[in-house]
Amino acid sequence: MFESIVSYGLAVGAVYALIGITYNVMYSASRVFSFTAGMLGMLGGVLGALFINKWGFNAALGFVLVLACGAVLGLVTEVLTVRPVLKSIEQHLYVLSTLAFALMVQQVTAIEWGTEAQPFPVLIPIDASSPAGSIWGIVDQKFWLPVLACIVTIGGLEFLYRRTLIGRAFLAIAEDSYAARALGLPETQLRLASFALAGVIGTLAGFTGAQMLLAFFGNQSILNFYGFVPVALGGMGSNRGAVIGGLALGLFQQAANFLVGGIFAAVAVFAVFIAVLLLRPEGLAGAPAARRV
Amino acid sequence: MSVKRRTFGRRQVLSGSGAVALASGLAAPAIAANEPIKIGYLPALTGPSSSTGIGINRGTQLAVDEINNAGGINGRKIELIVRDTQSDPTKAVNAVAELAQRAKASVIWGPLNSGEALAATPLIARDKVPMLHPCWVDELIDVKKYPMSFRIAPTNTQIGKGANHYVVDVMKLKKVAVVSDTTGYGTASVNTYVPMLKAAGVDVVYTNHVDAANPDLKPELLRMQSAGAQAIMPWSVNAGFLSRILNTRGAMAWDVPVIGQTTLGSGQTKALLDKPEYWNKVYSNNFRNVCFAGGKLPPRAAEFVERLKKSKVEFGDTLLWWVALGWDGAQMMIDTFKAVGPKAEEVVGYWNKVKGWPGVYGTVTWTPEQHNGFPDEEVVMCEVNSLKDGAFNLAPGYSS
Repeated sequence: MFESIVSYGLAVGAVYALIGITYNVMYSASRVFSFTAGMLGMLGGVLGALFINKWGFNAALGFVLVLACGAVLGLVTEVLTVRPVLKSIEQHLYVLSTLAFALMVQQVTAIEWGTEAQPFPVLIPIDASSPAGSIWGIVDQKFWLPVLACIVTIGGLEFLYRRTLIGRAFLAIAEDSYAARALGLPETQLRLASFALAGVIGTLAGFTGAQMLLAFFGNQSILNFYGFVPVALGGMGSNRGAVIGGLALGLFQQAANFLVGGIFAAVAVFAVFIAVLLLRPEGLAGAPAARRV
Repeated sequence: MSVKRRTFGRRQVLSGSGAVALASGLAAPAIAANEPIKIGYLPALTGPSSSTGIGINRGTQLAVDEINNAGGINGRKIELIVRDTQSDPTKAVNAVAELAQRAKASVIWGPLNSGEALAATPLIARDKVPMLHPCWVDELIDVKKYPMSFRIAPTNTQIGKGANHYVVDVMKLKKVAVVSDTTGYGTASVNTYVPMLKAAGVDVVYTNHVDAANPDLKPELLRMQSAGAQAIMPWSVNAGFLSRILNTRGAMAWDVPVIGQTTLGSGQTKALLDKPEYWNKVYSNNFRNVCFAGGKLPPRAAEFVERLKKSKVEFGDTLLWWVALGWDGAQMMIDTFKAVGPKAEEVVGYWNKVKGWPGVYGTVTWTPEQHNGFPDEEVVMCEVNSLKDGAFNLAPGYSS
């Protein structure tokens, strides 16, 4: 039981964490909370299955194409749904524009791809009779691939934000976009780049988690919600918080699955989520916002 | 190019319409004797629920083509007015208005999916058109609310009874786990079937509603196993959920039979299995008249298969029972028109007295009080991994 909680919990948690990071990357560059994160996750699985299973591309090419599609969708999201509402961001119009775009993409997916879950290819086949194959829970790609993707992503982002000039420019925009623009930073291009990066991370989450979650249009709403929980738990804009929140959510959800089961497992997750937000509204890793008086 | 617009005065229009009315009134008997009998037909030929519609459509088209090629009924051809509902209840409702009010269809065959039928049935009843449909939702038949609506297929209750009968009377199991997803269909099925099992003396050792999106069902199956379940009965039409149950059972190397709804045997479920052998010991609902028993189909189905082959109707890529159901629906209407003609009251009066009508898919009996026509004993279970030429083997244990 313990092995199953840890292997499944970490894998699902890593997918949630990556979706949380997707939210954060878009939020940092634009102050827009874009509800397209779940859509990107869903498309990661669907496009992966389409390219590799249906069109017969090899796994590496399929993977690169999926991430490229994610980047393009990120750009489209920025141009179509974010840029027009930035002027009146305090009215939260982005909730409507990003959600509407995500729902449109989901409906098109349902029509073109179908409403049934479809299989996602096994990228790294394991031989169950080999010594490695006998440790079923560890060698199966569905358990370690999302965790690996999460580690690579968080490492890459840390490197980008702390060691590179462009990463520092991202941080400057996130910190104070007016000041950054005054310094001559190309805010629009940086925001576009952030959305493309978010597109890559979101589809990476979906692609690596798809063997577990299947290639299914309905994953969008699940990922939108469960990806939001780590952001809320970890604090808006905090990637480390999202990773800790995501993994904790995955482990807790899986433990609840074992201990209470059925629909009550979901209720337990919501109960803890609400309790944490009541006790620490700024999130576990977030700092309380100082108010100017 | 100049267009000359002709204007009519009111008097001209009135006299013109009078002339038309007179002409059509005089010609009416001659036209009625030869004009086709219209069947309004509402299959879902596209959209997410279309695989059933496409299968049923082949049988219906064949029956109509055969009678028309033979000269029709007393010289009158059958005209099938097809409106593809696209698996969308709104489109089905719009099509009903067109078929019943404008096209004046004598009978409406369909909708073929429950979601569309739930939306369309009250409207068809309001327009007083006889309706024949193959949908399983129990509430679709109510002789008081919809006195002209008849079902040529089993109800959901009969489907559950068939599965329960197999567990209790054929396999003689005493401890059963019943689960569903959290949809309306899933929860309603569990709430209906569990009391039926308990009434039959079965110990329902585990029951739960599970979120179909949950990727790991091992906790659920472990609980079923430790409760001593001898069979799992999952009620869901979600192929993802069902395949996860079968994959988890396989990975646990638990040799327990899984017994339930037809989606267990669908191609979508099969495509999601980690290993083909995880489909062993899985039994889904099917129908006695269209299942192989001892390697042979029953005589009516065997004869029907010959007819399909002769007419070059493909059925290996769909399910035989869908094609047979489509044939039965059309054949029932043809037999009715032959006996009493296409008038609504006559059709309903005839259907109210149908007894033991020998269809390929099922034997139909209706009375004025009971418009559910399918017999309980023809709902059986089949081996899902035995699909051949669109039909399955009867599950082990039935006397053939």
